[in-house]
Amino acid sequence: MADVRDIMELEHPASQEVTRESIIGSDKQRKRPPTTTKTQKRPEGMHREVFALLYNDNKDVSPLFPSDTGHGYKQTKIKLGMRKPRKWKWVPFTNPARTDGAVFHHWRRPSDEPKEYPFAKFNKKVDICTYTDAEYQQHLRVDGWTKDETDHMMQLAQRFDLRFILMADRYDTEKFPKRSVEDIKDRYYKICGIMSKLRGEKKIYTYDVDHEKRRKEQLKKLYDRTQEQIEEEQFLLLELKKIEARKKERERKTQDLQKLISQADSQSETPRKTDKKLPKKKIANPSRPSRVDTAHILQAVETAGIKFPDYKNSGVSLRSQRMKLPANVGQKKSKGIEQMLQEIGLELNPIPTEEICQNFNELRSDMVLLMEIKSALSTCEFELQSLRHQYEALNPGKTLTIPPQLISNLDLENKAGTGEIIDVVGSPSTPTS
Amino acid sequence: MSGMLYGGDEIGALVFDPGHHSLRVGYAQEDTPKAEIPAVVGVAPDDTPKIEPETKPDESNVSSTAPAWKYYIDTTFLHTPRPSMDLHSYMKDGMIENWDLFEKIVDYSYDKIIQSESQYHPVLFSECPWNLRHKREKLTEIMFEKYKVPAFFLVKNAALAAFANGRATALVIDSGATHTSAVPVLDGYVITNAVVKSPLGGDYLILKAREMLEHMGIDLTPAALIASKEVVRDKDKPKYMKKKLSFQPTNSWMAYMIKKTVQDFQQNVIQVSESPFDERIAAGFPTIQHEFPTGYRQDFGPERFKLAEVLFDHAMLGAGHIAATSAGMCDVDIRPALYSSVVLTGGNSLVQGFSDRLSRDLSSRTPGSLRLKMIAANGTVERRFGSWVGGSILASIGTFQQMWMSMQEYQEAGKAQIDRKCP
Repeated sequence: MADVRDIMELEHPASQEVTRESIIGSDKQRKRPPTTTKTQKRPEGMHREVFALLYNDNKDVSPLFPSDTGHGYKQTKIKLGMRKPRKWKWVPFTNPARTDGAVFHHWRRPSDEPKEYPFAKFNKKVDICTYTDAEYQQHLRVDGWTKDETDHMMQLAQRFDLRFILMADRYDTEKFPKRSVEDIKDRYYKICGIMSKLRGEKKIYTYDVDHEKRRKEQLKKLYDRTQEQIEEEQFLLLELKKIEARKKERERKTQDLQKLISQADSQSETPRKTDKKLPKKKIANPSRPSRVDTAHILQAVETAGIKFPDYKNSGVSLRSQRMKLPANVGQKKSKGIEQMLQEIGLELNPIPTEEICQNFNELRSDMVLLMEIKSALSTCEFELQSLRHQYEALNPGKTLTIPPQLISNLDLENKAGTGEIIDVVGSPSTPTS
Repeated sequence: MSGMLYGGDEIGALVFDPGHHSLRVGYAQEDTPKAEIPAVVGVAPDDTPKIEPETKPDESNVSSTAPAWKYYIDTTFLHTPRPSMDLHSYMKDGMIENWDLFEKIVDYSYDKIIQSESQYHPVLFSECPWNLRHKREKLTEIMFEKYKVPAFFLVKNAALAAFANGRATALVIDSGATHTSAVPVLDGYVITNAVVKSPLGGDYLILKAREMLEHMGIDLTPAALIASKEVVRDKDKPKYMKKKLSFQPTNSWMAYMIKKTVQDFQQNVIQVSESPFDERIAAGFPTIQHEFPTGYRQDFGPERFKLAEVLFDHAMLGAGHIAATSAGMCDVDIRPALYSSVVLTGGNSLVQGFSDRLSRDLSSRTPGSLRLKMIAANGTVERRFGSWVGGSILASIGTFQQMWMSMQEYQEAGKAQIDRKCP
């Protein structure tokens, strides 16, 4: 409101001024400043430097808001002797966790209620199944285990709270034959199973001895490996990873190739293209090289090369903008273009006259196509070789003779340059499709 | 009951930890034993009129030729040459062998160290993991019958050492005076069938050091026999005056005192090299000077490492080997737990570089898929008195108070139940 009044150049009504005090309405706030000035006297024994941290020369308070509401050093005295200390007494106690009622002594405050020994509640016992003589004779008799030995085993189970490893360790081997951990476990859980069945319990634990023995055997083998074996395993795992990576790379390349081909196929919607496609698919015999006519190639060039956007924007623009590679051309491709341009001795950025602009763009588009075709060719070559190896592996003794039209392609292509691309385009489809 | 928060409840129990080197005695809940008494007792015929405060007439030994014997216990009394005082150890193979002498030591502990009546304090004893049943029963009997203790408990020292390092499951490597042992502990119980021990301990190291020093022609006269000495230069012949004694000290006393002298040397000089001993590497380390009680001084170089090597270079008995063997004897399921907490304890493990070398030896034997972790307390007290500290902790825990074998139980069921009560 005050701002509005300022703008309107109205008189300030003195009584209506909005201040902090008028909102909060506390008188305490006003009383604060004098107290801070009072405490600015340096307390005795306080170092000057420390005091200067709290209050500087300008008598300003430190930028930190004081967090203690007390009066600093004045009231830090400990109040000693104000209260009577509570007494401790050396008193006897019994422990309900003990069966003998032995009496020990410990220190306790007489004020504390003499309640039950607090540690007795930690006295937990494992439930161990029991059996009577009659039950044993009726249900639990097994060859290889006498009643005495079973009793001994159950006693150990009680003593060691079912720690079977310790039970096996402390087994009385003088009276009874030596038993393994698994034997003892097996016997114990069988007894438990039978007893709980007799009592009609639904949940019955079973113990698979053979499985456990096998598991431990495996574990032992795992731990007993020598350093060389471990290294060998790691080496083999690394190799496996490499092989898988290579396989994936190859699959990816094949997929790219197929995409390229299908793209080229779908682009040409002339009737010639469709009946071209059918015989091509049927040609399983690679001896006859497939031919693609120039019309199709021209269309393929358009699709597979770089698509330069048409500048139809209104307004002024530099012609050199047209020569800029579109954003969808990858790093790899643009690098390839650069390299090729250098090989044929062209400038990377020629003067963009109308004619140069168009031709340069076309040239680069062709270059990209060439690159793609080259990589497709090498993939095909690789496929061909691997198929040949597969064939030879499956039919030992036989060798697959690859028709010269297929093998010599690479050399031909290398020698002939761009003019012979026509042959190349057709060939990838044969081994893959 | 202020201890509820930390689970402690102190009932004034005593902890005894007998060993070959010394007996550790003290109150439970304290961090160090009240006293460490050498595990040897000086015995001399009692024909002198003067009365030592620490002696007690021996009633049981009346049949021997001398009518009465005087017993000398604790360092101050042992280190003085006395006519025909023979020193005897009451320990053998980690177990108490001579019960009469042992009782003298316990008497002395109550009388001079604890200074309180035995019937007021429950007693927790440690024992070696291979202690025999009849010895345990005998000890139980003595404590209840002779000392009238209100309650008694017996724990394997390896388990106590594991407790002292905060572990209930551990592979405890205890390198003491007479032997080094590897003891697997599972949930506070020792796996007795997988205990492996070797006789390579501090005493063996001292023996080897003594052999070497004597071979070098160094005078090992103990300090107790030297009246005065002069400062001489390095490797010069020592100049000293012997105390004038009217008698010849006994052989056993001399042997003990020389052992102490060599022990000084061992603690000052000997170091375990990090890798198997190599003369060239050892030569690269700085030498350490040691002055013998006679005043003779010499720098020791590669010998320092060569001597310590006896603890590790044995194919079957090295500390790393016995640890791996012991773990290998345990169930496969607990091996990872054992390897992941290897507790090192015992006074001999304080030889410089011991723990480094052990962890190196052990890691080369650890199966590749397991994680090895060595737990070695840094302080000398914690390492030397590992099992005593564990006993001190155990006896002052609230939940332990139900475990004691009480006088009532002893009177009802006799000493044979010790095997059941204290596994």
